[in-house]
Amino acid sequence: MNSINVAVIVKLEPDFSEGNVSYNPDGTLNRAETKNILGPHSEIAVNAAFYAKVKYGANISIGTMGPPTAESMLQHAQLISDADDLYLYSDRIFAGADTLATAEVLKSGVLKMQGKMDIVFSGHRASDGETGQTGPQTAWKLGMTFLGNAIDYEINMETRTVRAKRLVRLQGIYDVVEEIEAPLPVFIAIDPSYVPKFNTVSQRLAYEKYQREATQRAQNFKQYLKTFNAAQIEADPKLIGISGSPTIVYKVERIPKGKATRQAEIIDGTDQEQIRKVVAKMRQSLSTMVIK
Amino acid sequence: MEKYDVAIIGGGSAGLAALKQLSNLGKQAILFEAGSKVGSKNISGGILYSKKPKKGKTYNVEDIYENFLTDAPFERKITKYILHATSKDKVFSIDLTEAHNYEANFGCSVLMNKLNQWFLQQVTETAQKHGGGIVPGVHVRDIRWEGERTIVQTDELEEVEVKAIIAADGVNSEVAYMTGARQKFSPSQLYQGVKVVIKLPEEIMNERFSIGQDDGAAHLFAGDVTLNHIGGGFLYTNRDTLSVGAVYHLDSLLDAPVEPYDLVNTLLKNPMISEFIKDEVPVRGEIDKNMAKEEQMRIRFAVTKMIKTWTELRDAYYSKSQKERLVKEGKYGSEDEIGSQLSSIREQMSSKYGIKFETDYVEAEYSAKLVPDGKRCRMEKPYFKNILFVGDAAGRGVFVGPRIEGLNVGIDDAARAANAVARSLDKNNFSDDYLGQYYSQSVEESPYTHDLKSIDKDYLKIFLDAAKDVPKDIISAKYGMVVKMMSSKTLRNFAVGVANILGYEKLLPVIETTETYVKVPTEIAERLGKSIQSSYTPSIPPIAQRVAKLKYNDDNISHIKVLKPTSEFMKKMITLCPTGCYFMEKDGVMIQHEGCVECGTCSEETDWKHPRGEKGINYQYG
Ligand SMILES: Cc1cc2nc3c(=O)[nH]c(=O)nc-3n(C[C@H](O)[C@H](O)[C@H](O)COP(=O)(O)OP(=O)(O)OC[C@H]3O[C@@H](n4cnc5c(N)ncnc54)[C@H](O)[C@@H]3O)c2cc1C
Ligand code: SF4
Repeated sequence: MNSINVAVIVKLEPDFSEGNVSYNPDGTLNRAETKNILGPHSEIAVNAAFYAKVKYGANISIGTMGPPTAESMLQHAQLISDADDLYLYSDRIFAGADTLATAEVLKSGVLKMQGKMDIVFSGHRASDGETGQTGPQTAWKLGMTFLGNAIDYEINMETRTVRAKRLVRLQGIYDVVEEIEAPLPVFIAIDPSYVPKFNTVSQRLAYEKYQREATQRAQNFKQYLKTFNAAQIEADPKLIGISGSPTIVYKVERIPKGKATRQAEIIDGTDQEQIRKVVAKMRQSLSTMVIK
Repeated sequence: MEKYDVAIIGGGSAGLAALKQLSNLGKQAILFEAGSKVGSKNISGGILYSKKPKKGKTYNVEDIYENFLTDAPFERKITKYILHATSKDKVFSIDLTEAHNYEANFGCSVLMNKLNQWFLQQVTETAQKHGGGIVPGVHVRDIRWEGERTIVQTDELEEVEVKAIIAADGVNSEVAYMTGARQKFSPSQLYQGVKVVIKLPEEIMNERFSIGQDDGAAHLFAGDVTLNHIGGGFLYTNRDTLSVGAVYHLDSLLDAPVEPYDLVNTLLKNPMISEFIKDEVPVRGEIDKNMAKEEQMRIRFAVTKMIKTWTELRDAYYSKSQKERLVKEGKYGSEDEIGSQLSSIREQMSSKYGIKFETDYVEAEYSAKLVPDGKRCRMEKPYFKNILFVGDAAGRGVFVGPRIEGLNVGIDDAARAANAVARSLDKNNFSDDYLGQYYSQSVEESPYTHDLKSIDKDYLKIFLDAAKDVPKDIISAKYGMVVKMMSSKTLRNFAVGVANILGYEKLLPVIETTETYVKVPTEIAERLGKSIQSSYTPSIPPIAQRVAKLKYNDDNISHIKVLKPTSEFMKKMITLCPTGCYFMEKDGVMIQHEGCVECGTCSEETDWKHPRGEKGINYQYG
């Protein structure tokens, strides 16, 4: 049958939104008091996989490396995507992994997923690590063609190829959209600006149908969840955890305050006079701008 | 082009009922809803009635959804219905529970966001089984006919072909104007409704309103709170919120414009209502600006989190079911433990962060929408080609006495429209006389249509009986003759007979006047009312703050275009737009559409459309 398997690798991250996040007096994150959730970039990757389900009836597997508490994040990811299988790779020896060692676990994990993957999705980067390397490294380890910054994709089920649009940011100049075609399997790191588009009524109905199924599945998500330790995914102990990490985070320093070159004037209040001042300032700065 | 049997446009309570009924009959239908989620664009007062007509049959909510009474998340069954005449601090109350019960199986308070989502859940599965379903986030832009084919065009999706359409797109129906099925409703046919949802913990509400766990109260207001306008105020108890709103005749507002939010604020400031809505509210202490920026931020976040925790726990503590659930789930050992946890958080809030607790009220949502006065604007033939109009789109709101009925009427229409369409599908005949005429005939037979056309003397008598303690001289100055005739049974029959011959058209200018809504109630209150004092003054948020609190999905293109920037009507919109979207510039009136809540008040002299799919206002309560 002409079916397609997609995987998504996701990450558990602190919820940085106000009312949920807590900080220590020294300004660092209070991890004990802050809930962890599905990272925002991971969420976009999950959405991209859901697109394949709605449009091509794809089978979705979602995997993460994390502590046992990451279960509820997988549940949330299933709620978004109606995932068919959830995988949690959890083992004490994974602790202290850098991006390369994480990629090793994810690679081994993806290989243990049900069926051979045609597409693996990852987020663009994590909001607490900000490296953006785990995706490409996993792709490299899996030996898959890597497509980064994808903002759109379509699959040709007959020719087993994918056609993707990539947003290429040329530093400070302008953005280009590059369109490329590649044979499956591919690894896609999804761009933060990705929004899935469904253009026909039947696609929208399928979307609603799967969303409903997702709600039901997510209520019993444990039925769909498999938890694997290092031995079970047959990861090479030399390549994972601390021992598999060529880099360590030695120290995190606060970025020193840059010297302000502009003068800030604080106008606090809402009365006519103050608003007028603000508007005058805006007029002034707009007048110096060149609008192309 | 994809093909479906039926398209329903609009997923309010009427559209959803149409889909449910069609699905029950085994027919395929798709429903387009502009809001990103069903329920996100609908607001009501609202009391949903189930009618028990003396003659004829209505399709009630529990006929369409059999499990409504057992499973639906309606708020409370209204068991007390009281009209208050107000004048400054004085209030005179008249119990109208009998009028509420009149021809009703029940009437329950509802919040549309929650309720419409429940309706959606009930219908989705069956609709899917027949190859249809709901398509949210899609705005229908046009409908056209090519020979036998009917084609629906949307802003978001590829075109689809259908055999029949049910237009349930509300009071500002674009389907109606774009097909030319009817003219836009004029201000003389409309009321403007403005509402705020106010939080109040469940058990505090039970005690304050002297109502049982699942019972509810409805309070109505006339007199000086109307600021001299034709209409009145209401306060309904929901499960753990109150709906407080004002509904005024648009013509009356255009005659002497007053900011819609002022009409609501006047209600909130009435001492009786102030006391109804009051609650204990945490107020943040000032953060010392000399502290390090990081420390200030940490405190701000910690305070936000603490207030959130306290509020949630307090709501649970004052709700029987939630309290039981917390204990059952093992989160707390006993209900008392919740209580002591609550006071310990409270203690920490004031000692650690200087949070104070004051008497005030908590507003959750501000909303507005036009309501059609069906006595004046119902479509006599609610169809056009193969499109059937239902609910507000057909102008079928029943305003008789203080009751507003639109939800139930729309559900009844929807069932009738669905039955008519199903019959046409069976015979593959969608002609005017087979579909449109048949539906029109069915609507004509509806008891609601009867209510829209003629006065019910038994209903009228309830009001006369209820007002029997009011000295006749107050009323007789204006209604002397009427009162005399109404007090005797034979004369009453005769008078109502004559009135019905004259018809509502001639009668309304006599009944719906400032005498009825303002002068008489004010005088009653002044002479007979009891003085009520409120222990505090509610701090009412300015409109900008109310709008800032609403959730929108901004569209960079305006869905409304001003056509006559210098007309008198548009100038009045500066005052009458409930969210203050209009302002005066050099060249006339301009719109800033971002704060628009899509009420329709400015529709008369603008090119008015709903925003594109998913865009615009996103109500959380409705
Ligand atoms: C303040 C107030 C108090 C009220 N009190 C009561 C009460 O106590 N009892 C009572 O019974 N009634 C009351 N009503 C009236 C009642 O709320 C309405 O009659 C009822 O909500 C109308 O339902 P509807 O489904 O016809 O329309 P709506 O609820 O307006 O639904 C129309 C839907 O169509 C969608 N739509 C519009 N155009 C398009 C398009 N082109 N494409 C796709 N989708 C579209 C909209 O997004 C919307 O969801 C009150 C109304 C107000 C404003
Ligand atoms: S702009 Fe018009 S439709 Fe929008 S809120 Fe104001 S009056 Fe209502």
